[in-house]
Amino acid sequence: MAIYEAAFGFGLVSMSVIALAAVGFTMQFGITNMINLAYGEVMITSAYVAYYLDRAGISIWLGMIAGGLFGAVFSFALNRIVYAPFQRKGTSNLGMVIVSLAISLMLANALLPIVTYNSVSYSEHTGSIVRLGGLVVTINQMIIIGLAIVLMIGIHALLRYTRLGKAMRATAANPTLARNCGIPTQRVIDMVWLITGGLCGVAGVVAALNSDSFAIASGAGFLITALAAAVLGGAGQPYGAMIGAVIIGLITELSAATWSAEYKEVVAFGILVLVMVLRPQGLLARRGALAAAG
Amino acid sequence: MNTFYATNLLVYAGVDIIACIALNLQFGVSGITNFAFIVFQAAGAYAASVLSMPPDSNPDYSFQLYVGGFQLPFPLPWIGGALAGGLVAIPVGLVVLRKLRSDYQAIALLVTSIIANTVITNARPFLNGAAGLALVPQPLQDQIDPRSDEYYYFYIALTAVCVGLVWFVAARIVNSPYGRTLRAMREHELAATALGKNPVELKMTIFIVGGVIAGLSGAILVDFITAWAPSVWLYPETIILFAAIIVGGRGNNVGAILGALLVPVGLEEVTRQLIQMDIGPPNLIPALEWILIGLFILGFLWFRPEGVRPEPRRVFRGGPDVGEVEHGRLA
Amino acid sequence: MAVSPEVPMLVAEDVHRQFEGIHAVDGVSLEVPRGKITGLIGPNGAGKSTFLAVLAGTLPASGGRVVFEGEDITRLPAYGRARRGLVRTFQLPSEFARLTVLENLLVAAPKNRGDSLFGALMGRRYWIQDEERLVDEARRLLRRFGMGAKESDYAGLMSGGQKRLIEIMRALMLHPRCLLLDEPMSGVHPRIVEEIQHYLESLRAEGLTIVMVEHELRLVEQLCDSVFVMAQGKLIGSGTMASLRRQREIVDAYLVG
Repeated sequence: MAIYEAAFGFGLVSMSVIALAAVGFTMQFGITNMINLAYGEVMITSAYVAYYLDRAGISIWLGMIAGGLFGAVFSFALNRIVYAPFQRKGTSNLGMVIVSLAISLMLANALLPIVTYNSVSYSEHTGSIVRLGGLVVTINQMIIIGLAIVLMIGIHALLRYTRLGKAMRATAANPTLARNCGIPTQRVIDMVWLITGGLCGVAGVVAALNSDSFAIASGAGFLITALAAAVLGGAGQPYGAMIGAVIIGLITELSAATWSAEYKEVVAFGILVLVMVLRPQGLLARRGALAAAG
Repeated sequence: MNTFYATNLLVYAGVDIIACIALNLQFGVSGITNFAFIVFQAAGAYAASVLSMPPDSNPDYSFQLYVGGFQLPFPLPWIGGALAGGLVAIPVGLVVLRKLRSDYQAIALLVTSIIANTVITNARPFLNGAAGLALVPQPLQDQIDPRSDEYYYFYIALTAVCVGLVWFVAARIVNSPYGRTLRAMREHELAATALGKNPVELKMTIFIVGGVIAGLSGAILVDFITAWAPSVWLYPETIILFAAIIVGGRGNNVGAILGALLVPVGLEEVTRQLIQMDIGPPNLIPALEWILIGLFILGFLWFRPEGVRPEPRRVFRGGPDVGEVEHGRLA
Repeated sequence: MAVSPEVPMLVAEDVHRQFEGIHAVDGVSLEVPRGKITGLIGPNGAGKSTFLAVLAGTLPASGGRVVFEGEDITRLPAYGRARRGLVRTFQLPSEFARLTVLENLLVAAPKNRGDSLFGALMGRRYWIQDEERLVDEARRLLRRFGMGAKESDYAGLMSGGQKRLIEIMRALMLHPRCLLLDEPMSGVHPRIVEEIQHYLESLRAEGLTIVMVEHELRLVEQLCDSVFVMAQGKLIGSGTMASLRRQREIVDAYLVG
């Protein structure tokens, strides 16, 4: 029984990490129609940014903010310089996938000579341990969970109550109509990339923090997990991504506890495939985002 | 230039050409973005290996753990490799090719590639995990000394025969009414369906055919380098082949060959020369190669999406005088 | 075309189509008369195109039956229906852009020995006779529709009207018994509209059954022998345009004159 309690505790942390990543990813798709396969690499790059700051003695939480800033600026630039021009040119959805894949490869390899293939980890300060009922979590993990909750509420508030949020939702539903109604879609999209990029960066640092170690190859795993949660919840639906994160966080941790830890990504992948085959529109999607064309 | 170097170049060129022709059939002609292509090549390589290797109980091979070990003579392992590529294509195709939008299909295949590699790496008793297989027997190694020049010429000839065979099959497919139907499906699947074409059957068939050819390319490669491991078939390897197709030209076999020579062969050659010149930190040159590949993809997608040698426009004999009319160019 | 006059051509029995809670087609039953041009009209959002798609098999029915020449085809996918002679065209241009005009027509032709993996691998000599026969047939069709000179042009570069013609010709290569046209005149130059009208009339004279979703009422009046009217997913009337104009509810719901 204790295994399950521990797994549940890990699950809480896991789902927090995944939620941060998945919500950013799904919003990029929902609002700008871009499946950003470079997302995992941006996460890992941000993790490295925090790592180097950590090695210089700077607090990991400041490093996380730095990672978030990097993610925001980089993602914004990526869209402005690469994605948006290709989209304006009329590149097909498939073409855009290939473009983002190329970017993903280039980013990973730009990083490679600097960081090499070696695994690294942040310096040890897990902090004291807290007991909540049957669960045992560290202070760091509690901060991560708290951070995720705060940011999720922030996203919710953004989308629901602010003008920017409403503009985002309008652009997601129908960009042409939104533009015709006077919404500055260009600026909205810029903000989307800044905000989701920031989430991406923070998620990267947090994911690295939550692992024993990470390396340049971890980016692919981050991407798959975020992708699985986003697809499960319904592509483009932020609340769906949160639900997806909860489910995947729990299931992967349970499987790691009862079966094998090496196969966590495989389990996430299995869920992804199952969803794609059985219910491609995910749990929450109202429009058939994943249905066959036509 | 010694014999080994030349053979190495030619065999790799042959394998890359075969792989590009197969990927072109799936992607260029039929519009299936098979981001898991390398898995099929790997299936062929692994199959050819375990079919030709002795069982892992054999004292020379006991440091490896793997299934099979049937010690079959050439050409059976190669046939087995090709079949393996086709067989692996069946479940993957059945799951992915049916109801998904093309960009989701692509992602599902990409993820399949990543996970397949992870699973094989971790499931050690199956195919010896991360270390992979070594000491793979080579075709006719008991009859011809594998280190002799004669063997190299033999292997080049073998590869050339396979290239010829694959080219023959692919040409027949592409230049037939069947090829035309595949291209129509690529252009507008819904309209093709409304004209009586069964998209699932068409896609599954060409997916399997491509898988068989990919498997053959894996067999040829593994028997040349006599080793195979997960690090050889990571998902970016598929991207190199996609870059080749995009650069060389989609939808036609000549473009596929051109792309194979320019990207996997040409770029790798340049990289190898540069590495020997020992510039900068150890990982720099290969990393730059990948960045260059990415730039190639972006550049061609932007400036010349149809590639260096575009798909030719098919003109039938006996039609109206075609010479004076402006036919225009389609991206 | 072998025809048994007692068997109705195309029948819809209480067809429903819903998607995520919206009833696009809400229990439509009708019988398409053989050998005539039948219009399907109604205001925007009435569900006409959706209904056509269900008849053609592009969309599955959520309920009800579709019977074609006595055979229940409700479960048959679109490609199966096309092979049986029930062929549709699309509202948005759906030509095979990077194939030539002639190739577009050739793709449609069903009886080509080279149109299978086996046939392709057998080589040119195996299928060249079929191919040449079909090229002749396609060329005759192209000449009849006035596009003979364009056979080697990319279909994607053709004008809107030409693309419409290509779609109709493509459908004809299948020797259909019933043609389902989804707004064949939309976005087409008025002069081409006249041409298409002529072609449809001559096809009717040859015994082809045509169902046409169309917005332009003047056109419907000239071309269609009778008309079905849909609104909000339901069938609200049928008959000739003249008789429909006399019905108050129809006029209120839709017809403007």
